Amino acid sequence: MKIEGLKTVNYEERLKEKGYKKRLNKVMTEKEAVATFLRDGDSFAIGGFIQWRQPQSIVREIIRQRKKKLSFIDESAFFGMDQLVGAEVLDRLDLAYWPIRQVGGIVGLPSVERCLKEGYPRPIDIGGVLKTPEDKIKSDKPPLKIVDWTNFEVSLRFMAGALNVPFIPCRSSLGTDIPKYNKEIKVIDDPYENKPLLLIPAYKPDVVFLSVQRADRRGNGQIWGFRGTEYWKARAAKHVVLLTEELVPAEKIYENAGMTVIPAYCTDAVVLLSYNCHPSGVYGCYIWDMLYDLRMVLACQTGDGFSRWLDEWVYGCKDHFEYCDKVGWEKLERLAKAEHVINRIPA
Amino acid sequence: MGHLYTAREKYTPEQLEEMKEKYLPTELICCTASREIEDGEVIFVGIGISDLAGAIAKLVHAPNALMVAEAGYIGFAGISTMFSPSDSWGGTMAMCHQGLPETFIDEQAGFIDVAYLGFAQMDKFGNVNVSYITGPKIRMNGSGGGGDISSSAGRIIYTVEFNPRSYVKKLDYMTEPGFLDGSPDARKKQNLVGGGPSCVVTNRGVFRFDTETHEMYLAEVFPWQDEEDIEEVKKAFPWSLKAAKELKIIEPPTERELWAMRLMDPDGMWTIAKIMDATLGKLILSGKYDIEGYNTLLEGREAAWRKAMEILT
Repeated sequence: MKIEGLKTVNYEERLKEKGYKKRLNKVMTEKEAVATFLRDGDSFAIGGFIQWRQPQSIVREIIRQRKKKLSFIDESAFFGMDQLVGAEVLDRLDLAYWPIRQVGGIVGLPSVERCLKEGYPRPIDIGGVLKTPEDKIKSDKPPLKIVDWTNFEVSLRFMAGALNVPFIPCRSSLGTDIPKYNKEIKVIDDPYENKPLLLIPAYKPDVVFLSVQRADRRGNGQIWGFRGTEYWKARAAKHVVLLTEELVPAEKIYENAGMTVIPAYCTDAVVLLSYNCHPSGVYGCYIWDMLYDLRMVLACQTGDGFSRWLDEWVYGCKDHFEYCDKVGWEKLERLAKAEHVINRIPA
Repeated sequence: MGHLYTAREKYTPEQLEEMKEKYLPTELICCTASREIEDGEVIFVGIGISDLAGAIAKLVHAPNALMVAEAGYIGFAGISTMFSPSDSWGGTMAMCHQGLPETFIDEQAGFIDVAYLGFAQMDKFGNVNVSYITGPKIRMNGSGGGGDISSSAGRIIYTVEFNPRSYVKKLDYMTEPGFLDGSPDARKKQNLVGGGPSCVVTNRGVFRFDTETHEMYLAEVFPWQDEEDIEEVKKAFPWSLKAAKELKIIEPPTERELWAMRLMDPDGMWTIAKIMDATLGKLILSGKYDIEGYNTLLEGREAAWRKAMEILT
């Protein structure tokens, strides 16, 4: 059976492209990394979870490079995903959660809501459940397809991808509407005990962008704090781009080798970029910038507001450094100071 | 219902009147829900109310309970309420940092005794919708980890502010399994690991599920809820809600519980449920996005963290 929306990795092709993984110095810029590995029509994922360790500079760079027809998959979404939808970068979105109307009646993901209600900038089709009403659709743009999962199920997709098996069974969501509307999930009677089980199809994204606290030039990525699904994402993807807060010599990696979640053989590129997750936070480095995030969500409540925000904070900045200049280094350092009150990375 | 009157006799009518106005809905929910935890239990907490209830239990009567946040923080002290299960203050003074799938694997393996969840729609048998409303077409938060937690955790405590519109005959979309069709072994037939919903804690009483029929019933009320109030609550349900033969009277929040709650949520971010009334909201409304605004916000948080860390060590 062919799974819709799932690109199976061609192993020969992967071997050919393995050149990147074999290099001893994988350091490149964010611009190069996005241009080299992410092509229009590709599927991709990013690391982290909701407001923490999600490399949002990558989201801005993808929009800046005007990538198109991408598929994005994540457990729980963040405000940056809303920007991807609003900037018409995505064709398909697989996820379990998005923080909608969470904060005192403010719409959490205004662009997604606009697409669903007004069909602007494009309609949305959530298979069998909801879609933008026909009379609201003004353009002939194909609808953005959204598929529902639970957090664990999305994680298991990466896990199956990493294990190089077509699916993984699980015992979540049995008897609910999730497998009813999500046609890619199969419910079977397992051949051993003859009881219902959910089969979760594998996912092998073309590129994953993972944020780590520390990496060396060869691409050993070390993570502190929660690890999210990084271990599995790094092994499921064709290409792995690490965004690191700090670039360290290999000796520094040996000192805390237990913290290495992504070994060099997984990694294709290392991008040294401080504050690459802003407004998201990084354990031991800087806290989530809730003031910026809430301000952004408020500004993006209307279509015009969203365009203005993009012009100012995404297209208006040449790269991440200009963005940091714009945010203000003083503020970024203040966020770092706050995190250091509660968590520090061993020196 | 003679029993009700006997139980209330320890309060004078004046006291009841005063108590009625004294507590915020979230205070009633968090403190009542925290009492469902037994010492030593492993609690799966989410954000806001659920995180607060777990932290209160740990500070007040269950010091050996272990809190688990889905992003991968295990056995953390809980120095502050969380906005997301990945917040780094959830990792402070934690026993273990792991990954998201690992946490759910532990749950499917049966290590999680109890979990707190919220909901938007619930039916008679504790099935829950957090995904879609089809009347006016609305997309809600979606499952997140809720679908997994309700499938596999030992028991689920639902915590919500009482809203008559939340209870429906038929869900628009079933995100989280409760007792499914209510038949005696419905969950077992579906091969679900967890025990299903245990109770629904609201600011207008606690609802539990019949062990035989799995039907939701009113089990406990606050001392100031008179017959009239109880009737009103029952009428909010689109089916005829049963009530326990002897309604238990809930003790109002204690000083210690309220202290624990303020320690975890000093700014009242979740307690007052209006972000715009808290420091963050005030800064947003005044357009104070400069470094001074950041200092105001963060200095307050840092002081609260330091205080909590001192108390918890």
